[in-house]
Amino acid sequence: MTNRTGARARFLTLAVAVSLAGTAIAAGQPQIVGINAAVLNNVRIRSAGAPQAHIAVVRQRVALNDEVQTGGRSQLQVLLLDKTTFTVGANARLTIDRFVYDPNRSARSLAASVTKGAFRFISGRPDTAGTTNVRTPIASIGIRGTIFEGVVGQDAANIAAGEPGVGPRVRSDPATASLIILRGPGRGTQGRVRPGVIDVTAAGRTVTIDQPLRAVYVPAAGMAPIGPFIISPRGLQQVQALIFPGVAQAMAFLPNDRTGTGFVPADNSARPPRYGYPGYPEPGGDGYPGRGGYPGQGGFPGPGTFPGRGGFPVGDLPSGGDGQMSQDPAGQGKPNQVQPNQGPVGQGQAPAGQAPGGQGPGKKLKGGPNLKSPPALQAQSPTPAPTPTPTPTPKYPGKP
Amino acid sequence: MATRYPLYLCLALGSAWLMAPPAFAQADPAAALDQLSDAATGTGSGTALARQQIRSGDLTGAAATLERVLINHPDAGDVLLLHASVLCRLDDAGGARLEIDEVRGRAIPGQAWAEATAACGPIGRPGRGG
Repeated sequence: MTNRTGARARFLTLAVAVSLAGTAIAAGQPQIVGINAAVLNNVRIRSAGAPQAHIAVVRQRVALNDEVQTGGRSQLQVLLLDKTTFTVGANARLTIDRFVYDPNRSARSLAASVTKGAFRFISGRPDTAGTTNVRTPIASIGIRGTIFEGVVGQDAANIAAGEPGVGPRVRSDPATASLIILRGPGRGTQGRVRPGVIDVTAAGRTVTIDQPLRAVYVPAAGMAPIGPFIISPRGLQQVQALIFPGVAQAMAFLPNDRTGTGFVPADNSARPPRYGYPGYPEPGGDGYPGRGGYPGQGGFPGPGTFPGRGGFPVGDLPSGGDGQMSQDPAGQGKPNQVQPNQGPVGQGQAPAGQAPGGQGPGKKLKGGPNLKSPPALQAQSPTPAPTPTPTPTPKYPGKP
Repeated sequence: MATRYPLYLCLALGSAWLMAPPAFAQADPAAALDQLSDAATGTGSGTALARQQIRSGDLTGAAATLERVLINHPDAGDVLLLHASVLCRLDDAGGARLEIDEVRGRAIPGQAWAEATAACGPIGRPGRGG
């Protein structure tokens, strides 16, 4: 009797052990959420809890909580199970924090975080229900079936400083500044897609964007979103060059080893005028070809530049335009840096002086006819909660 | 009593199976994505897939496909032009025209310009006089 009881106890213990072991093995399996669909140059992935990152390759599985890291002039597209894509540019950090997808019920719950760099998000199945959220260090983007782009860090601050809708007077945290741009689909979209909408929330305030090329900028922690405003062609092109460094280099830009983050304007002096051919309208007031818009800001990607705003660390003007580069020994490129001990701006996240754009002499372009500084339209005060700027009246006529 | 031992074992294995996450039960949920990735390794296969997606109305899928191709072939002007035409169809004409401007002056097949014109309206072909 005793032997029988002991045997039964041992077998029961073994059964429980098998159960727990199986569960542990299952729990230890990384949850696959997608693959590396395309990789350019130096891209690494660090699995959750792993001490070191490993080199990423095409078709490699991406698991939940893997941190994707891209190097200079590198790029990656992560393709998730529901066909949602994250395309990240150089020097970026991306993590898929949550991904629950049921293809049978067309339901998805996605949360991701981008702590650095530029990225483009394209929603997968348009009929998928559920919540989708992308976070930067200081902003949260709620997504409803859409294409949008973001830049986090110094590049965001530099691009925003050149935007009439933001201006150079806004103090930004070079580590966390976040620029968000909706790319579509617009209301006039074709196909099986719905118009895109994003809600950008920061410091307790939410700005909704529902038209392509509208942007929102969050300068630092504790500051409300600025915008929406229409991203300028020059600003948009800078964002594209960050997300697609390979295309930028092949099409218009040269590598820039000095900054390691992207590009410098190519010498386009040999290129013919951009709008010199029939059927292609001269740039309109908002700078986009054939469109109206920003008064006094026409000329995309015309001559000149960010007048008086030197120090764009990734090359000032990826479009190249017709301007010429010159060094600015006065180092004018520090309009956006966080100053120490200035209230909520920065909040200790990025020690002053570490901004990559402000260390050396700034750059500025010269040679164009529009060299005088543009009016600081919609310049925001560095107070914690600036009033969102009104959207300039769009003059997009729809299809060109 | 010994007849109950297999029952305990079955219960244990069953509970382990029930507690396992989907990844444990499904070998490779991402296998279907490999084909999409593979198609982007060449400009011909990538644009063929993108055109198929355009025809089926999957414009965002087409845009993602072409972006994959551009990562692998950043100097493919015809792919960038097709991407621009997709942006036009997505009502992002401003972004599309930036890309059209980038390929200006490059040798682009007539079909790509025709697609761009169909999607974006008359844009003129550089060097062709209209």
